[in-house]
Amino acid sequence: MAIKCIIGIPRTWVLLLVIAALNGCAGPQTKSDPIEPANRAFYTVNESLDRGLVKPIAEVYEKITPAPARTAVTNFFDNLFYLNVIVNSFLQGKINQGFSDTGRFVLNSTLGIGGLFDVATGMGMPIHNEDFGQTLAKWGVGEGAYVYLPIKGPNSARDLPDLVTSALLNPLTYISGGILLPIQALRIISLRANLLDETRIRDEAAVDPYSFTREAYLQRREYLIHDGSPPTKGYEDIFNEDPDSESQLKIE
Amino acid sequence: MSDSLHTFRHSPFASAPRVFNLLRQGLCVLALLAAGTCAIAEQEAQPEFQEATAIVAELHGALVHIMQNAPSLGYMGRYQQMDPIIRQRFDTPLIVKVTLSRHWNGMNDAEKTDFISLFHQLSVATYAARFDSFNGQEFVQTGREQLQAGRVLIKTELRRTDETPVKLDYLIHQNQQGEWRIISVIANGVNDLSLKRAEYAAVIKDRGFPVLLDDIRRKIRDMETGATP
Repeated sequence: MAIKCIIGIPRTWVLLLVIAALNGCAGPQTKSDPIEPANRAFYTVNESLDRGLVKPIAEVYEKITPAPARTAVTNFFDNLFYLNVIVNSFLQGKINQGFSDTGRFVLNSTLGIGGLFDVATGMGMPIHNEDFGQTLAKWGVGEGAYVYLPIKGPNSARDLPDLVTSALLNPLTYISGGILLPIQALRIISLRANLLDETRIRDEAAVDPYSFTREAYLQRREYLIHDGSPPTKGYEDIFNEDPDSESQLKIE
Repeated sequence: MSDSLHTFRHSPFASAPRVFNLLRQGLCVLALLAAGTCAIAEQEAQPEFQEATAIVAELHGALVHIMQNAPSLGYMGRYQQMDPIIRQRFDTPLIVKVTLSRHWNGMNDAEKTDFISLFHQLSVATYAARFDSFNGQEFVQTGREQLQAGRVLIKTELRRTDETPVKLDYLIHQNQQGEWRIISVIANGVNDLSLKRAEYAAVIKDRGFPVLLDDIRRKIRDMETGATP
């Protein structure tokens, strides 16, 4: 199983690189959606799967599982996949953060009983959000096209290689047997349960959920790339296109 | 300065200390100038920040009030509380213009006024529906920034018990009447204005403007009745 996974990765690389190349991975930063028809088709498939299966299970999980248990499950998976964060902290030159992340991983894996408890945050080693897509952005790679993947959901072309690096740094990639299925299922349910509030807001607010998801995803990525302080220029651009105000009109 | 550069080109090692001295002096002067400019800018910007901060504080005060009294107020009570704040403190006409982008130019004044009114109702309804319970939430101002064209950014956080705070940034400008108004709200880096702009453009392109109007009216009704799609 492990060998099969590793052999599968170069094929995935090739596929991702082809997709990235087709969609201008190396191009300038734009929020383009050149394959919108295909993206929308996959979005519809994912939404059907979500509404019919994943979301109802996640809602039941949220209802019957006590909050501390849900937190422990979230902590466990955050910790399990934290190697990807550590590596990308260093790749982005955040040396102090990288050491802090390493300490966090060691502490939570041991004192935190396999990551179930987050003891590191209280000891001054907070959780960070890094991945290879953010690293590529720091290295100057353009965002490329928006790509909505089956099952996985929203991505930019620049975020696609992270599918490979995060898989390589995911311990679950290297285990096999009957235990893998329930672990993966729990992971998906936990992930979905943690997003219930966000999708509730989207369903409440969005008149075109596909565009809403795309814009929210791309802006969220900018926010993460800049560690929560994106350049304020982006806030103003939208007003600079046509500075004439129409404020003389009133709400009636 | 040109003399020192000339010397530097011809005898860099001999005159290096002198050039460094000049550079250091230059940097000191620049630093002093920058500090002076900052101090002047700070003094000049102060009234703007005060106005902008007061608007955000007023909005947050109203939100805390409707959350704390959510059950007794009910949806309609919360709506009525928020209506005047949104009307007076948001520049809805400019927000709508930017949101509709190219489509705005093709509308006549009556259509524009109707859409502004509908969008205002949507904004009020969204606040009334979303801020419907109180669990110790607290708004805290965390920073401020002077931006281009006299705009001001007020940075705040919505702090919640046992949950990660939500960063809420408000972009505020002075309208043609000289009144300070909120023109954009950014939650954890996600700008509501950009989301709506992309959505509305997609709906107008694929299904037409009348469908967009129907969709917005339906959203307002759903929020009033508490219906979830």
